Amino acid sequence: MSDPDADLTELFRDESAERLDQMDTALLAVESGAAGAETIDSLFRNAHTIKGAAGMLGFDDVRALAHAAEDVLASVRTAGVFPPDFAAPLLRATAALRAQVNGTAEPVAGLLDDLAACRAGPPGGEPPGLAPEASTAASTAAASERVAPAPAADVRTLRVPAEKIDHLLDVAGEIMQYRTRLAHSLGGQAGQAQDVAEAFGAGERMLDDLKDTAVGMRTLPLAVIAGPLPRMVRDVARAAGKEVEFVVTGADTELDRVILESLSEPLGHLLRNAVIHGVESPAERDRAGKPARGRVELRATPRGSLVEIVVADDGRGTSPEVIGAARREGSLADVLASPGYSTAEKVTDLAGRGVGLDAVRTYVHSVGGSLDVRSEPGQGMEVIQLLPVALALMEVLLFERGAAVYGVPLAVVEKVVMVTQTLTLEGRSALEVGGRSVPVADFADLIGAVAPPLGERPPALVISLGARRAVVTCDALLGEEEVVVKPLGPLLASLEGYLGASILGDGRIALLVEPAMLTRRSHAVPALTGPSAADGRAADGRAEAPKVLVVEDSFTVRELQRSILEAAGYSVVTARDGRDALAVLDRDAGVSLVITDLEMPELDGIGLTRAIRAGPARSSLPVIIVTSRAAEEDRLSGIEAGADAYMAKGSFDQQALLATVERLVGR
Amino acid sequence: MPVYVRLRIASETYAMPVEHVLGVADIGQIRAVPRARPELLGLWNRRGRILPVVDLAQLLGVTRTGPPQRVLIAEARGHQACFAIDDVSEIGELGDPAEETDSDLLAGATLADGDLVGVIDVPRAFASLEGLSGERP
Repeated sequence: MSDPDADLTELFRDESAERLDQMDTALLAVESGAAGAETIDSLFRNAHTIKGAAGMLGFDDVRALAHAAEDVLASVRTAGVFPPDFAAPLLRATAALRAQVNGTAEPVAGLLDDLAACRAGPPGGEPPGLAPEASTAASTAAASERVAPAPAADVRTLRVPAEKIDHLLDVAGEIMQYRTRLAHSLGGQAGQAQDVAEAFGAGERMLDDLKDTAVGMRTLPLAVIAGPLPRMVRDVARAAGKEVEFVVTGADTELDRVILESLSEPLGHLLRNAVIHGVESPAERDRAGKPARGRVELRATPRGSLVEIVVADDGRGTSPEVIGAARREGSLADVLASPGYSTAEKVTDLAGRGVGLDAVRTYVHSVGGSLDVRSEPGQGMEVIQLLPVALALMEVLLFERGAAVYGVPLAVVEKVVMVTQTLTLEGRSALEVGGRSVPVADFADLIGAVAPPLGERPPALVISLGARRAVVTCDALLGEEEVVVKPLGPLLASLEGYLGASILGDGRIALLVEPAMLTRRSHAVPALTGPSAADGRAADGRAEAPKVLVVEDSFTVRELQRSILEAAGYSVVTARDGRDALAVLDRDAGVSLVITDLEMPELDGIGLTRAIRAGPARSSLPVIIVTSRAAEEDRLSGIEAGADAYMAKGSFDQQALLATVERLVGR
Repeated sequence: MPVYVRLRIASETYAMPVEHVLGVADIGQIRAVPRARPELLGLWNRRGRILPVVDLAQLLGVTRTGPPQRVLIAEARGHQACFAIDDVSEIGELGDPAEETDSDLLAGATLADGDLVGVIDVPRAFASLEGLSGERP
């Protein structure tokens, strides 16, 4: 049973927070002399509304302070001129109002006096009784920061309790699983009725739409938390005696609500660090030939299913010693994030004791993202966070190791490979991928699982996370799936390395792994010299063996053909009928030749050949029909369908087959 | 008199206040979690919700005579978790746990049908579960 009072208070808090944000934005504009009549109007209205709502709910302290602010704004509106030095006490008022609304209020008697004094003074003159901070503001010409553009007005919004959206998302996720199970059962029946297939297809489209909408409800623009940041940067800069221009770009970039909520603190940390440790004092900047005002930037850019969030400054950057350490460790982020590290000569209260980047990195890894730092001495620093857009419904790659299922966000999987041969470098296994050497590790080792040894040519995922890559071997790849990420729960919250778990269509539980767990043993390994290999080649430098698709519904014949071809140095994939073969060709663009039987269920050899010839991408793919039907008219229909060669099984001649394959592949 | 669910681990009998018990089920498939502490047997799927399964025998220091057969789904402090047990024997009233016990996790013990039945303090048991992680590999 919800408590109506609590609900109202919650609404009041939300609404006041929004209005106070707007007031701050406007006041910062006033301070820099960029305010117009509509700014003053909106300030007045916001203060007035907060006063009224607080009065109705009985929050007398808020009402009194809002009233005091409203009075100042009323006199300003009447006078038609807003003295910039009124901005500072009003900014203190908004800060105090925030504290009051959140229940952490402090005494405001002095502030009330200051506000009353503002009302009394003539416009333009310096009103008596202002706090010293305000006069500093008046005299410093460069005491302004550019503010984030206000979010687009007139967007119809509704306030919806978070639980309702979460429930909707849970249901959407369950529907996704139901759809997968349905697909499995329907797909298992050959010759599914036409109308069933159509209905299913339509259902798929509607479910996708529902899912996208539900996930979309959970995402919010960065602007939601970026609102108070310009104010914070201004305050920190002031206290530290720095001059800072703060720019926010991409505030409309959307992120999962849960990630967004917990992003405020790390962002605050990074911005404080940038102002305090990054940007130099105006004197130092002058000596370095930089403009007196430092520039701090917050940039958000969508990158597919990830969002890149950068906090950058043009300050002093990192020291050469740190850069040296980073070269040895392989990553600047690692060096700077090691606990206890601090870039300051003397640590101040505001920045905290070297904890900043460590906490940020932990947070980023806990949501499955990555952290990167770029910096040069004297040339500022960029801290780059890569975060997933949606946490709740995630596309993962599922795989098995030690008879258990795991998943990893698809966004960090560069590709999958089969590890046939590895190189050893400095005592570690590595694989050449895309011309660079990438360390290879057994997934079981990385995660601390007990598992039997891997097979001889294990499949592997190539993980790419920020600047790091890793090849992670496993027992089997199960495929891509969109899963509902369920948290492991508060009782397991301290267990590191897992994003959560997911229930698969067959009821099994997959453990979802933080990508950072897989790359933590990777560091910059020098690139190999030697022949550069194209992606996916075996590391022994041999040109990749041509891949042949064998289509045959008899298991025995299929395996026989496979062994003949593999012995001759070809790589083989198989399909059990024409339809299956087309699916394989869809997935795998590396097939150089198809050997197919004639008589097969679903789609026979003739049908398959025709389908191959019909598609533009594959129309010249060589096809050999191998069959027990030796009659001339069968051979002709095969050729007519577009086969390049037709061989009868009766006179099945191994050498002849291989010769034909070689001839056709060589083309 | 308050009502308890009586459960068996090896040769010992324990009781849990019924208001903390959501249900009992066959143990089925438990998904082991690498690096978790030995008391955490793994994760369990209960109607689409993923719950941790804790070996109650290990928590209480009882030596098992065989693998656990059932799970008891419990709720306390707003969380849910499962305890792996051998079986549930009955649900019924018990006298006050007046007898003293050594264990932190027991609110006391009571005599019933000639057995000494330890009464589990469920909120305290849950509190001891926090920090059920293991070490980094």
